[in-house]
Amino acid sequence: MSTFDPEEAVLRAFLRLRSSGFQLGVGEYMVALKAVEGGFGEDLEALAETLKLLWCHSLGEQSHFDPIWQAIQAQVSAQKRRKPPFPNPKRLQATTQEQTQEQRETDVVPSREVRPERQPEPQLSALPVQAPYILTGDEERSSPQAYYPISRRSMVYNWRYLRRPIADGPCDVLDLAATIRRVTRQGFYLAPVYGRRERNNAHLLLLLDQNGSMTPFHHFTRDLVETAQQEGSLKPENVRVVYFQNVPAVSVFQDPYLTEPTPLSAVLSGCDSGTSVLIVSDAGAARGYRTRERVRGTARFLYQLKRYTDLIAWLNPMSAKRWVGSSAEIIANAVPMFQMDNGGLSNAIDVVRGQSFKHFYSSS
Amino acid sequence: MTAPQRLTFEGNPDRRPQDNHRDSPKQPEPYVVSPELKKAVNLAIYLRRPLLLEGDAGCGKTRLASAVAYELGLPLYRWDVRSSTKAQDGLYEYDAILRLHDVEVQRTQAVQIGQKAKTTKSQVEEGATPERRHPGDPKHYRTFGPLGKAFGLRDRPAVVLIDEIDKADLDFPNDLLTVLDEPWEFTIRETGETVAADEHCKPIVIITSNKEKGNLPAPFLRRCLYHYVDFPNDPEQLKGIIERHYQIRQAASPPVKLVDTAVARFLSVWNEGGLFKKPGTSEFLDWLRALHEFEPKPYNAAQLKKDQILPYRELLFKLQQDWKHAAKVSVKAS
Repeated sequence: MSTFDPEEAVLRAFLRLRSSGFQLGVGEYMVALKAVEGGFGEDLEALAETLKLLWCHSLGEQSHFDPIWQAIQAQVSAQKRRKPPFPNPKRLQATTQEQTQEQRETDVVPSREVRPERQPEPQLSALPVQAPYILTGDEERSSPQAYYPISRRSMVYNWRYLRRPIADGPCDVLDLAATIRRVTRQGFYLAPVYGRRERNNAHLLLLLDQNGSMTPFHHFTRDLVETAQQEGSLKPENVRVVYFQNVPAVSVFQDPYLTEPTPLSAVLSGCDSGTSVLIVSDAGAARGYRTRERVRGTARFLYQLKRYTDLIAWLNPMSAKRWVGSSAEIIANAVPMFQMDNGGLSNAIDVVRGQSFKHFYSSS
Repeated sequence: MTAPQRLTFEGNPDRRPQDNHRDSPKQPEPYVVSPELKKAVNLAIYLRRPLLLEGDAGCGKTRLASAVAYELGLPLYRWDVRSSTKAQDGLYEYDAILRLHDVEVQRTQAVQIGQKAKTTKSQVEEGATPERRHPGDPKHYRTFGPLGKAFGLRDRPAVVLIDEIDKADLDFPNDLLTVLDEPWEFTIRETGETVAADEHCKPIVIITSNKEKGNLPAPFLRRCLYHYVDFPNDPEQLKGIIERHYQIRQAASPPVKLVDTAVARFLSVWNEGGLFKKPGTSEFLDWLRALHEFEPKPYNAAQLKKDQILPYRELLFKLQQDWKHAAKVSVKAS
């Protein structure tokens, strides 16, 4: 065990974990080194526990860590095994007697007893190319669960920016500064000054494309609705959600299963110039279609919508690269369209609250 | 390199030093600490990074802090987070209304109060009595929160427990982060003071989360050490916990037979699955106590083994579905 170099193992693990998608920075690396210095990494197992504590921040990450660590461990121990012939020329001169002695020792020394158990791993890792491990790592990353362009948390965060505070609540908020100001002006204290409670008066209409090519993104649209209605600062009664398939037609639906139709005109009549409208649809980008009917139908709908409000933005769950050549490219020229990631949602919310947006999709 | 003598936590309340701090917990904590958790605590103490504990309710996340504080003789400052808690509440609070009030009172009761205050100004710290407060000195109107107190210590670090951080507002963890990092200081705006923690007395922060409301922000997680507190799903471990509890309470522990049967029945319910809310360690201990002490005579172990429906199941199942499920399963098993 004397050949064990924890710092090398830390570096190896750091690089390996980073390439496997762990969010680690130099700060994390330095703190791991500090922990090693403090005696929290005497052997491989202790080091693994330490790194798990420091670098894994959820149960999921911890379970992800184990296979990667096994690969690193195999690498480290394989190196250890290969090393002795080179740096220790004395050993090379050793007679066969000594070797037999060594063998006898291995039977006695408990730390070597682990050897036979670990045999399958070193065999694999002794190959010059570490292909098997890399493969498994990649497979795990490409699992559908890893597709997380936007987290629930950032949705909540972004919704908070959609606000139009109006102080029309009950008059019960103590205004400390005003109270003190009045006391100093009057020279004596009479009563505290109260202000009205503020209320978020932003109205939001969410139009969600459902089924068909949007099926893989139902997870996101559901999160989007839940966060907007329950976890943001918006009043639930000010959030209206309607669903459609491909293109909002004469009637849209009130439920995600598209069973309760309601006329589009009735939904739109509830909008005024202060209503923010957010449309979530792939606009044909998921399958790469470029259909005239779709573009025309969407344009008709947008024309109708713009008579009520200008605060319109479009969130596309497909990345902007995939819009090119599909109907999405054309529609993106008629309405601010953003890909559904953190930046995109943030920009879309800027648009629907009436601020100038930072960038705008163009096919050039 | 770090503190003169390095603090380590062993999970042994007998190690408590003689010169413990007055804010240190008075009662020993019956806490059985797993080797992994012990290491996590020691690493957190060594690196002085916050230790984030996650796990089901009632598995001993909160109790750990007082176990650590008791063993090391350190003060424990507990900060219960609510949905309206702001990061600043943990540092200090400033009572502007009281100051305004004192100005008025002083005017009506002549000026002597203030003069008196001036003489004792140096000794006035937080919690100043009305006679000692002087509205001319804003320092008399600030009180330190749990973190603020921990920052003020000069002879030893404090254990700060930030309980159920996930309940707080979205910004809370990020705001906290700016304080729990170099240079370990904060400024009191109203008085212009800067409170900085001593190099060797940076607080030991233990944070618990139930993960009720989504994840914590990534930059915050990066600073923290993460440990998932698991339910002790092993008869021996559970028995160890029971033993420690009765030992520290200095009460007669229940008969061995009853403990064995209770552990076996409880674990079989726990491991069978189908429960929406699994009972935690604390619920198990309550249940065992009820079995042992509620009636004049302890519950009969043989009877407990035979029982189709668990006695005192109101202590274990807190949801209607679980309650019904437990009844159904026990009928099926018979």
